[in-house]
Amino acid sequence: MSTLQSIPVVAPPAEEPSGGGNLLANVFDELLAFCRSRSLFMLHYCTGCGAIELPPAMTSRFDMERLGIQPMVTPRQADILLVTGYVSTKTLKRIILTYEQMNSPKYVIGICSCTVNGGMYWQSYATAKKLSDYMPVDMYIAGCMPRPEAVISGLRELMENIRAGRSDNWRDYYQRYDHYLGNQQRLFGEHWQTPTDVIGEARHYGQFGPETLGEHTALLERHQTPLLPFEMRLGLGDVSKGGKS
Amino acid sequence: MNALDILLALSALMPPAALLFGRWRGYAWLAGMVLTGQIILLAGCDLPLAAGMNLEIFGRSVGWRLDAFGRFFALITLGVALASTVYMGGEWGERHAAGGHSPRWLHGALAGNVLAMLLLLSSQDLIAFFIGWELTSWAGFLLMAQGGEKALRAALRYVPYAMSGAMAVLGGLALTLAWTGTLDLAALTGIMPTLDNTKLALLLALFGMGFSIKMGLLPFHLWQAPAYAEAAGAGTAFLGAISARMGLFALALLLVKLMTLTRVADLAFIEGLFTARDLLAWVAALTIVLPTFTALKQNDARYLLAWHGIGQGGYMLLGIVIGDATGSAGGLLHVFNYATYQAALVLAVFAVMHRTGTADLNSLGGLVTRMPLTFLVMLLGIIGLAGLPPMNGFVSKWLVYRSLMLDGRPLLFLMTVIGTLGTILSVYKLIHNTFLGQLRAEHEQIREAPWSMTLPMLALVILAFVTGAAPGLALSWVAEAQAALGLPVLAYTLGGIESPRGNLDMLWIVGVLFAGFGIGALLFYGAGGRSKRVHQLDNYAGGHFLSADVRYHYSDHFYAGLMHRIGPFYRSSFTRLESAVAAATDLAASLMQVWYRQTVPALTLLVAAVLGLSWMIWK
Repeated sequence: MSTLQSIPVVAPPAEEPSGGGNLLANVFDELLAFCRSRSLFMLHYCTGCGAIELPPAMTSRFDMERLGIQPMVTPRQADILLVTGYVSTKTLKRIILTYEQMNSPKYVIGICSCTVNGGMYWQSYATAKKLSDYMPVDMYIAGCMPRPEAVISGLRELMENIRAGRSDNWRDYYQRYDHYLGNQQRLFGEHWQTPTDVIGEARHYGQFGPETLGEHTALLERHQTPLLPFEMRLGLGDVSKGGKS
Repeated sequence: MNALDILLALSALMPPAALLFGRWRGYAWLAGMVLTGQIILLAGCDLPLAAGMNLEIFGRSVGWRLDAFGRFFALITLGVALASTVYMGGEWGERHAAGGHSPRWLHGALAGNVLAMLLLLSSQDLIAFFIGWELTSWAGFLLMAQGGEKALRAALRYVPYAMSGAMAVLGGLALTLAWTGTLDLAALTGIMPTLDNTKLALLLALFGMGFSIKMGLLPFHLWQAPAYAEAAGAGTAFLGAISARMGLFALALLLVKLMTLTRVADLAFIEGLFTARDLLAWVAALTIVLPTFTALKQNDARYLLAWHGIGQGGYMLLGIVIGDATGSAGGLLHVFNYATYQAALVLAVFAVMHRTGTADLNSLGGLVTRMPLTFLVMLLGIIGLAGLPPMNGFVSKWLVYRSLMLDGRPLLFLMTVIGTLGTILSVYKLIHNTFLGQLRAEHEQIREAPWSMTLPMLALVILAFVTGAAPGLALSWVAEAQAALGLPVLAYTLGGIESPRGNLDMLWIVGVLFAGFGIGALLFYGAGGRSKRVHQLDNYAGGHFLSADVRYHYSDHFYAGLMHRIGPFYRSSFTRLESAVAAATDLAASLMQVWYRQTVPALTLLVAAVLGLSWMIWK
């Protein structure tokens, strides 16, 4: 929180796509990115006062849906996690749980100043000051509170980033999980855990990197009680049927 | 001795055999083999068959003769009895016996039901018919009463219904004899349609009431759901799948064969607008809608299915009352189709009860990972019950819908569609609350039902699927039954029906359906087939951290939004009507008692004697 520079106000430019000069080399990826940017489902985690600006943004006056953005009721099908306001320590646990339950690729938008630097709660002992310490944030929409125009402008910028392939912070969570977990453990204590197997998911998405594991994940593994999914069971002796775990 | 004699003799041997050897483990297999033999014998024999056995009662000969119409019902009866017997023979039967119930009486009651139904189905005259009718009622009562205190109470509620039904049938029988001079069904076929309208209407009212009670038609349906639901597992499957259809058999015999539908249509309440036939069609349609929506409100899986049993009877009667080749084939085919998936569904519910100890839809959930075969049975069964492809329930309902549209009865068509909508809603509730959602902590260690239970269920749903993909297999029996009953015969193919006004080919429909699944599978597996299973507690509940003690399985007050709209329509009118009739009967009986017991008995006797004597003298 001491340095404003560590807040990713502008996302770093993505690497040039490697097509070798062939214009058609990335046509499929670009089509995919275009489609993805035009059908965004958002889960709005209304934590604070910023939520009050969402109904006008969603309903007929500003009509977010014309941009292809719709609310979604569950994280499993959502693309965007909208955190709208100050994040208390207790709420942050729920936000991290919800974020981890979303399928990749996923994007996080922090709305209001509170998610940027704690805003008017900057002195509070119970408020997380900077959301991007605990999960990668793709876009901040600052303001107290930002008006619907600002919200829509931010969403449009996110759409453009997704289309151009510049918004892939979700990979960062898998690649540097140890860093994020460390910050979470610092806030919640060393017994912090969520039901999601993030390291397994990192392998599933091919994002396992050298910084995925570290001292904090080692601490997690020491006390973690894994939740293995129920397998289909015929229960006839030892015969059991399929289902990847 | 011909095939019918052997059939009846074998069935007559089974109840005493069950009472003697029912406790023996191998009895179920023995009975299963006998039933299989009977099915093969019955399916292979040439019809019609007259039994060698003949009785002489009051100078009238009483005989048994089986035609293709009776055989259609008899085959279903034997098939369902086979599935129930095998189910009873394994672990379920042991548990039932360990619970203090008698396996001998259960097997005996089932075998008694089969015998009674075969006698009824092959009756040649109204006396044999009435013997079969009464035997069926009492055998049914025996089977209903096997499940303990609640079952006995529900079965006793059936008794006054059955008695009044039997009295009505007996009255009709006496009037028939007085007006036509014969009780032989073949002879009555020619005579009964020539009776004048008043006599015919009275006969229709008397017989119709008696048969409707057995079938559970509105407004005589109240006894059925509790009596069938509370009975012991395999007994419930048998009762639910075929028992009530004896009423349909009798009604079809009366309406189509004896009276003929054209004569029934002559009995007009409003000339040219509303006839007895329309009344029957509307009673059938209401029987579809009201019990189906009662089923929607049930929280016990057994009751839910039992109420659907009443509702599905409406489709059968509706098809037969329409009376054209398509509709009556649909109605008759629905008897077979319904028996296959209803028996499977009831057995599946009792398999769940066997493992978890409850059929309460509010205390189950998530069992799909623990009982996948039972889940499969219930899934295919409810697809059939809801009348969707590829199961056979679709074919028979489609035939009924189609005949209603061709016959120009859009309102009745609307009623059947509303009924189907209610069915889809309530069977979704059934499978969701039982198998989907959260597995309870206390059910984490349960296992799939044993083979003795899963095999009969799987066999039934496979049959329902095969006759859904190739309905021609079952339609051959239906066409024979139509011919025997004197209905126009449906032109069928292996895949469905062929008609100048449009064909139905289930082979194509099922093929296209599975091709769709195939394309989906190709896309999924072609893209790598990547999926990831997560634990049920790794679930979204508004960000809440779930633990095993948190219930997040939404089951109670299912369809709250719908109930908000239609809830006020549930008025328990029939229950109140039943109480009113019961109270009125009670009052009349008390008055009678006061009159001849307490108020000057001598004078009462004197008045009665004088009246009786003067009547005799006047005669």
